[in-house]
Amino acid sequence: MSVTTKAAVPAGTTPPAPRSTVSDGGSGIGRFVRRLFSQRTLPYLLLLPATATILVMLGWPVLSVFLTSFQKLDLGELVSGKVVWNGLDNFRNILTDDVFWADTLRTVLFTAACVVCTVGGGLLVALLMKHMHGWVRVVLQLALVLAWAMPILAATTVFQWMFDQNYGILNKTLVELGFTGYHHYSWFQTGLSTMTVIVILITWQGIPFVAFTLYAGVLGVPADLYEAAGLDGASSWQTFRAVTWTALRPLVNVVIFLSLLWDFKVFTQVWAIRMGGPDGGSQTLPVLQYLKGIATSHFGAAAAVSVIMILCLVVLTAQNLRLMLRTEEVD
Amino acid sequence: MGRTKKRLVSAVGLLVALLFAFPIYWMVATALKPANQLLSDDYDLVPLGLTFQHFVDGIGKEGFLSSLENSVIVALAAVAFALIAGLLAAVPLARLRFRGRKGFLLLVLVAQMAPFEALLIPMFLMIRSFDLLHALPGLILVYFAAALPFTAWTLRGFVKGIPVDLEEAAMVDGCGRWAAFRRVTLPLLGPGLVATSVFSFVTAWNEFLYALTFLQNGNVTLPVWLSSFVSVFGTDWGGAMAASTVFTLPVLVFFLFVQRNLVSGVTAGAVKG
Repeated sequence: MSVTTKAAVPAGTTPPAPRSTVSDGGSGIGRFVRRLFSQRTLPYLLLLPATATILVMLGWPVLSVFLTSFQKLDLGELVSGKVVWNGLDNFRNILTDDVFWADTLRTVLFTAACVVCTVGGGLLVALLMKHMHGWVRVVLQLALVLAWAMPILAATTVFQWMFDQNYGILNKTLVELGFTGYHHYSWFQTGLSTMTVIVILITWQGIPFVAFTLYAGVLGVPADLYEAAGLDGASSWQTFRAVTWTALRPLVNVVIFLSLLWDFKVFTQVWAIRMGGPDGGSQTLPVLQYLKGIATSHFGAAAAVSVIMILCLVVLTAQNLRLMLRTEEVD
Repeated sequence: MGRTKKRLVSAVGLLVALLFAFPIYWMVATALKPANQLLSDDYDLVPLGLTFQHFVDGIGKEGFLSSLENSVIVALAAVAFALIAGLLAAVPLARLRFRGRKGFLLLVLVAQMAPFEALLIPMFLMIRSFDLLHALPGLILVYFAAALPFTAWTLRGFVKGIPVDLEEAAMVDGCGRWAAFRRVTLPLLGPGLVATSVFSFVTAWNEFLYALTFLQNGNVTLPVWLSSFVSVFGTDWGGAMAASTVFTLPVLVFFLFVQRNLVSGVTAGAVKG
């Protein structure tokens, strides 16, 4: 018993009889290969490429980022290959730097704004989708897929063009609508305004996924629950609270956590729009990490920023993981 | 639900659809507009003339074709590697019982949530020590590692979805385990393989931070080229929009192709077992 359970057998109920290989002659290599692919070693052999890649390309960097954050690693040390430990200096420098705290605050507010707008908007679209004419729903879904499919940088470029100071369609439209103050208005003059444009862009890019996910959840609510609520004389708001929201809640949690994880790490849109400018006014932690590390070659200091980012993400991810493991237990 | 209410919701729905489709429309419309209409103060939502000159100019611009080529190579190579290693891992994780299975599952699950953006510095140092900076293989390696956990996890879900009885029936009929896998499971996995590769491809196609960091001197991928296009070429919005359109097209085709699996594809990897 104990021997067979350790051996690799299909997960099904009846393990098939092992294929006896009568015809094979027993050359040394053949026997070796057969033993290598025996039921016992086969799973590990199959898992080897993936496991090795994950450990080298993910496990090591995670370890390395912590090690690097305790080192003085500038261009000189990088070229000479010397390892210079400097204890907590990087963290001390970062944590006493006003720019770091401004960027952290900005990142937190930015992430919160993105998540609220994306999940709120996505939920609204999903709920609307249920109640509209069939052909409108098809049109809307097509539009959402189009927006979703657009590569991040293509969308960013188009938004820059739409928000362009002199010839952007947004300013032209606002002027046309009577807001003449927006004639040649620059949306990228202040950090706050730049961040707002980035939040709008990310919300536009993020809503399709959230809307589709939640719409699938809306469709999954059994119809008899609505019937029962109707029989009990529930108002439409009560029905929403008691039936739809209760059913959607777990899914909403999942999209909130996914959005939190994604939006906290956003670099592409922020960098492509103004490289963190004007005057660092749209600089977030990922941008700070890039500027410190790659642009100015203070790898140790940049790694300290990375470590702080990772710690924030781990707190978020732990929550997410718990959610996922709970769904996994059903398996 | 009353008729008027449904009509109202539909109207709002159309408005939302317009909001989401407009940037794409605007991209294509701008790309097709004659240059003298682009930088004008006229209010023109519909192009008054058509020209393909921007496409010719944009594609002819220095670096476009080579960065397009780089993007295709990097994305395809990363997807291919991830698919092979991912499938190899997915089969035992879904089908076989062995010591440490739970541990491997957890490894893949946790790896899926690795914050790549926050690993830029160690990745840069590692790729530099491999002497792979400023070349495509370094980028391919990172994209492969980024796509692998998701690929393995999602494919495991797809393999699990295929009843093991089918394979057993084939084995009863005299197939070996390998033949049963190749003739029964693999064909049924087709849609799963396609959906998974599309997602990995799009991720690699979109990636910006690592491409910006690793590649240099004009030998870049499309996102990096496009971002420099805007700052270097300033007001050539026609060319920028034409290039963006070309950049968007393959993804659009893929997305419409796997439309049905869009949500389940993302959520299967992220949520369900």
